[in-house]
Parts: sequence; structure tokens; C-alpha cells
Amino acid sequence: MSISGMRRAGTALTVLGLLGMAFVYWLSFFWVSTEVSQGVAQRIFYVHVPAAWTSFLAFGLCALTSGMYLWLRDERLDRAAVAAAEGGMVFATIMLTTGPLWGRIAWGTYWTWEPRLTLTLLMWFIFLGYFMVRSSSDNPEKGKRFAAVVAIVGALDIPFIHLSVLWFRSLHPQPVVVKPEGPTLPGDMLTLLLTSLAVFTLLFFGLFLLRYALEGLRSGLDERARRASVLGS
Amino acid sequence: MAESHPSEGSAPAADAPVLDARGLFREYGPVVAVAGIDLELAAGEFLSVFGPNGAGKSSLLGMLSGALRPTRGTVRVGGVDLAADGGSWRRHVGVLSHRGFLYAQLTAEENLRFYGTLYDLPDLEDRVPERLRQVGLAGKARARVRELSHGMRQRLSLARALLHDPRLVLLDEPYTGLDPSAAALLRGVLTELRDGERTVVMVTHNLHEGLELATRVAVQVGGRFAWEGTRADAGADFEHLYHRVVEERS
Amino acid sequence: MTAYLRQVYVVMWKDALLELRTRERVSSMGAFAVLAGVLFNYSVDTSLVRMQDIAAGLIWVTLVFGGLLGIGRTFHLEAQDDAFQGVLLSPTPKDAVFFGKVLANFILLFAVALLVLGVFTLFFGLDLGSHPLALLTAFGLGSLGFVALGTLFSAVTAGTRMGETLLPILIFPLLVPMVIYGVGATARLLADRPLVEVAGNLRMLAAFALATLAAGAVLFRFVVED
Repeated sequence: MSISGMRRAGTALTVLGLLGMAFVYWLSFFWVSTEVSQGVAQRIFYVHVPAAWTSFLAFGLCALTSGMYLWLRDERLDRAAVAAAEGGMVFATIMLTTGPLWGRIAWGTYWTWEPRLTLTLLMWFIFLGYFMVRSSSDNPEKGKRFAAVVAIVGALDIPFIHLSVLWFRSLHPQPVVVKPEGPTLPGDMLTLLLTSLAVFTLLFFGLFLLRYALEGLRSGLDERARRASVLGS
Repeated sequence: MAESHPSEGSAPAADAPVLDARGLFREYGPVVAVAGIDLELAAGEFLSVFGPNGAGKSSLLGMLSGALRPTRGTVRVGGVDLAADGGSWRRHVGVLSHRGFLYAQLTAEENLRFYGTLYDLPDLEDRVPERLRQVGLAGKARARVRELSHGMRQRLSLARALLHDPRLVLLDEPYTGLDPSAAALLRGVLTELRDGERTVVMVTHNLHEGLELATRVAVQVGGRFAWEGTRADAGADFEHLYHRVVEERS
Repeated sequence: MTAYLRQVYVVMWKDALLELRTRERVSSMGAFAVLAGVLFNYSVDTSLVRMQDIAAGLIWVTLVFGGLLGIGRTFHLEAQDDAFQGVLLSPTPKDAVFFGKVLANFILLFAVALLVLGVFTLFFGLDLGSHPLALLTAFGLGSLGFVALGTLFSAVTAGTRMGETLLPILIFPLLVPMVIYGVGATARLLADRPLVEVAGNLRMLAAFALATLAAGAVLFRFVVED
């Protein structure tokens, strides 16, 4: 697909995603039934969980394309990796802000070392390292390679982090009265959650395509600068 | 410079050229250091590449040595593609730059033994003292590099670069900062390297030293070879030719 | 000995010899370990908490910070006179270079781990419990995972403008599993709990060390090439 095609597809998906998002908001405020024990605050869960899911999807995509970039050295793979990383960072930030807001009401505290929250926080920092490494190298090609290494090692480390924070928690019971979700989710809540998951995924891919197209335009500019410098010398 | 010239002296006809570079490009973001160079060298040839600062000479040499990955293009040493092979071709390549590649805290002997092991050389017990003797450092084998004089260090890095008897020798401004005795030694060693079997590429901006031993000459400007030919083509008044080429292209 | 092992060994030997002669890293790490112990003495009110109960966490944090100090400088001496360029131009496989440097760093960090344990025993009368071998295994495996990540990422930061300041941001999130399992094992051993309670942690530390070593060996070449 050409860059302008990407841009059109990205715009379409993003618009669709944003409309879907408005729909999800409407559903979660006016349609879905209120969870009995947690009250209204539980409704944030329809944003929180899909954001978490999307950020992990983005991280996986980033690590996958990073690995392929190191192998094949195709610039497009690096563009995909950075586009995924940026989307992932946005959704991880949403997850990390909605979690404490809900936690304050449900658990009486902004922050707990809830394993999934901890895992997302650490992943957020791995993304941060990804971008810092990328931008602090004088040779852009080197920055891309370094960032790819960060993404791959991060993805390999995620299972270890997950297991270890779970294990840590099993030793230190938290004052948790209710779990944010359970297998016994009533029908309309489940429907809304799945709808929201689909909408977030859609929105992510919309942003992903837009960002990918932007990187493509940027490298086109670089190419033009190169040609000018060769002709000029 | 695609076809290989019959060089002076007697170069043995090899199946594959010792060095074969095609369509080399090297870019750093929006900057182009090397913009399309083709190069083929047979055994016994000695190529000197001249050019002003920023012409991309070091980037070219970096790609030929396998230190830099070309953005586009291929480099073959003895017919082996540098990008595809695991690195066994590195055995046949020696690099001497104005940086010495030496560890200041190790002794002269330890430095050579270290590099000798990295090159998996079998006879280090004999080879190391012999090479130290050749560069006049036999008495300094156990002295740490930081205690050596500037000239001694340069002689040691010369011994280091040629320790594994490379077939292809790449020199990056080797005369920069040399004292007269080290320069004389380098000249002697380079003359010996013209034994008809070794291939040498030297990049430099010093016309006099570069022309001395060259069989082929190239002028690199703006990432490309702006002029190339045999030593005979370069003529007696190469300096004039060089400045004309550089001015035309920049 | 195969050529590969000889090359791993000679890289380790070179790094160890350089460290022995400059004592740059070992002295800063060692001084850090002792001084951290001094600071801990004034930051813990032993009339309220027993050092024995909280030592495990303090020891690992000291090890992580002290280790960072030394491991972050893995490629400093290499940069002098471009010596590392010479190593990279040799036919030695990049993973052999990585393993050699990891081994040299491991010796360094494990020595610091022993020193930290010594400092805590001496300063705070820490009782190391009845399974010193298991304790050493925990620190050995933890150190191995740490140096595998540390060596890889100090090569990364050596190639950036920010240098060592970037290193903690890159490796602290990745080190969380090592700290959790390491502290968990150490705390139990210091509390003299039976070995079966730490076996799982030691296994996880071993798995972490293996995974990071493998990742480093594969990825190192992409970091050091130009």
C-alpha cells in the first residue's frame, strides 16, 4: 500500500474508532447496568481494560517488527515498530491513569501493587527507554537498532516480570475486596467490554497507520535531502 | 574502475578479485558519506584514494573492512560476500588507522597475544617475539603501552595490524602523526607488502606519501570517485590534476 | 580447547587484567558497597526494626546500584585508542566477545556481592543462616542475569549521547524479576527457612540468567556493529 493509501486507511480507521469510542462512552454511561458492589465507578473499567489489552498488543507488535527489522533491515519494519510503540505508550498511559482513579474509589487508594498495574507501569518505562535510546544516538540508523534491541529484550522480560509480580503478590495479600473482573460478568457488561475491546483495537490500528504513514513521509524527506546533498557536492 | 588493470610487477591471476565492491552507498540519516563507488582490486595492486576532508574516504574504508555496513551495495573479499558470511574472511583483512587499537594498560606482548588469539593464530609463542623484533620493540615486550613513546606505539600498532599476515591491507591516514623513524619503518613495511600477492588500499590526503607506492590512484570527492586511473595516468604533476578535480566537483 | 572457547577466555582475561591494573571499577564499586552500609546504619532505626528482617532488600539494592556503577563502564576502557574497533574487526564471533565480557563482569560483580554480604555481616552482625551455599547460589545466579543485561545495555548506552545516565532507565524495569526472586530467596535464607521454600526462586533466577544470556548473545552483534 502506498503512503497516501496508508494515510487514508489510517484516517478512516481513526474516525471509525473515535465514533466507536463515543458510542462506548454512551453505552457505559446510559445503557449498561450498574455493578452492584462497586457502583458507578466500575464503569471506568470499560476504558481501562481495553486500553491495557491494546497496549500489550502494541508492545507485542513493536517487539515482533523490531526483531524482523534487525533481521531484514527493511526501513518499513522499523517504521511499524515505532508506530506501534507510540500507540502502545498512549494506551498504557490511559491504563495507568484510569486504574488509580478507579482504585481510589474501589480500594481506597490510588496505587496498589496489583500485578497487572505493575506490569503495565514497567512496560511503560520500557517504552520510555525505547524512545530515549532512539533519539539519543547521533546516527539515526544506530538509534533504530538500539531501540529494536530494547523492544526485544523487553518483550522477553515481560513473562518474567509477570510471573515475579504475581509471585510477590501471593506473598503480600492486598486489601482487595473485589477483583476488577471475574468469570461471572453479567451479559450486558460482557457485551460492552467486547465492544469496547473492538473499538480500542480499531482506534489503535488507525493511529498506527497514521503514524506509520508519517514516518514514511519523514524518510521521504530524508531521501530528498540526501539527493540534494549529493547533487550539490 | 570496473575492469582490472594488469598491474606493475607480476600479480598472480586469482580466480576471484581480492577485493570487489559494487554500488557502495553509506548514508547517515540525511547525510550521504559514500554515494556509489565500484572498486575491483587484484592481488598485487596498491590503490591510493585521495580526497579532501569529508569526502567519505574513511566511510569507504570502513565498509571495505567490514566495520561499517553499507546502506546499499556489496563488498566481496576473495569472492566472499561480507554481509552473508559469518566473518571468516576477516582473517585475511588487516586494518591500520591513525588510531592504534591498543590497550594502554597491557604490555606490548600482551596486546599482540590478545589480538593473535582473537585471530586464532597457531604459533603465538614464536610469532609475537619475532614481530616485536621486526618493529624494533624486542626490548620493550614487557613494557605497558602507556609507558611507550609515541613512535614506539605506532610501530606496535603496525605489528598488530599485520600480525595475521593479511592478504588485504587497509590503511586509513597511516602517516598521520608519525614521527620520522616510524614513518620510515611504515614505508619499509609497505614496500615489502608490494610483493605481488598482497593488496593494499590506502586513503590519505597526503599526495606525496600516497603516490609513492601506488599502482592505482583514485580521487574521492562528495562520496564518489571523481577521477581514477593507473599510477601512470596520474602523471608527474598529479598535484595539479588533483586540485583541478577537487575544485571542479566541489 | 576450541578456538571459540579460547576467544571467550582471552576477552575475559583481557578485561580482568585491565581491571586488575586500573582498579577503576572495583574500587568505586567496593567503596560504594561499604559507604552504602554506613548510610544504612543511619537510615534504619534498629530499635524499631531488626536489620536481619530487612537486610535482604538492602543487600540487593546495594548490589544493583553498585553493580550499575561498574558495569556501566564496561566499554569505557575499550573506547580509548579505538581498541574495541580492533576486536570487532577480528574474526572472533561477536557472541564470543559478549560471553567473554559477561564473564569478566560476573567475576567483578560477584566479588562485590561477597563484599556487600561481608559488610552487612560485619556492620550489622547479620546472621547468614544455615544455608550459605544456597545464599551464594542466589547471588551468583542473580549476578549472572544482571551482568548479561548490564553488558548488553552498557554497549547500547556507550553508543548514545546520554551515556551511562540512560542505563538505569533501560535496565531497572528489566531487573524487577531478578530483584523480586533474589530478595525473596535471600530473605527466607536469612530467616533460616527450609531450602524447599527457596528452590522455586533459585530456579526462576537461573531461568532469568539463561534467558538474558541467550538474548544478549544473539543481540550483541546488532548493538556493536556500525
